Amino acid sequence: MESLVQRFPVPCKNLSLDINGNKTELVICSYEDHFLVMASQIGTMGTILHARKEEGVAIHPTFNVSVIFGKRDEPMLVACARQLIEHISSSGSSRPLVLSLGLKDHSMETMKGIVSSVIEHRLW
Amino acid sequence: MAGRESEYDGAVNPDLVSDQSLKLQDQSTHLTTTANAAAGGLEITCFSELVDDATFHLQIIRFPKQIYAWIGCNSTKFGDLYAAASTRPSNTIGVASILGGSSDNTGSGIARRLVLKTGLNVILACSIPKNSPMLEANAEKKLMEKLVSLGYTQPR
Repeated sequence: MESLVQRFPVPCKNLSLDINGNKTELVICSYEDHFLVMASQIGTMGTILHARKEEGVAIHPTFNVSVIFGKRDEPMLVACARQLIEHISSSGSSRPLVLSLGLKDHSMETMKGIVSSVIEHRLW
Repeated sequence: MAGRESEYDGAVNPDLVSDQSLKLQDQSTHLTTTANAAAGGLEITCFSELVDDATFHLQIIRFPKQIYAWIGCNSTKFGDLYAAASTRPSNTIGVASILGGSSDNTGSGIARRLVLKTGLNVILACSIPKNSPMLEANAEKKLMEKLVSLGYTQPR
């Protein structure tokens, strides 16, 4: 259920899976200076978030996560982006993340399902 | 045929960038799209075009009610992100720069015309350098040609 477009210079994964009972289209792309992750259950990209690691000299990195388009009152979406950027950072990459979530429900189970599915099929 | 294709990615005599190589490119793209549809995922179309010494990388993702497109010019940088949609009640197109916007708005015109052409909401990521109207025009032309060939555009 997964296809990888390799010859094109931007690696891209496209898969369809079930998360918490909802059919979810997952797209993960790796650009030169960003990662793009899309999880859609509603036929559109939904809310778009931007997450990045802050430049700094502190021992522990800090992250900035913000909604750039869509729902700004749904903390689960921000939490999802934060989990993913932390994972990206701990894998050694400092590329920011553009995450789009078009979800039917914003429950904890759905969020956990999305985070684990993205990490399972990650490109970092 | 596959050999010809990889040649296209490298240093190709510009005179040869004609319908021949474009047809080969279309074939590979068509295979990509078919595979995705069969896998049950979204239709993703990725292709590269060489126009006037500039290499454009284009990506189109077709959601049921939206289109995402990315245009890279000689690089695979993500670029600036624009959202465009038609607005009620007047049906004019509203475009917003949602990431990376400086005062430059290189991609906003393309985003606007994508909405006009497809009738869908559009999210466009564009890393065309600013102050290059020719690059913008060439990229848009290739993108539109592909949208028409994929059947994503609506008749006027």
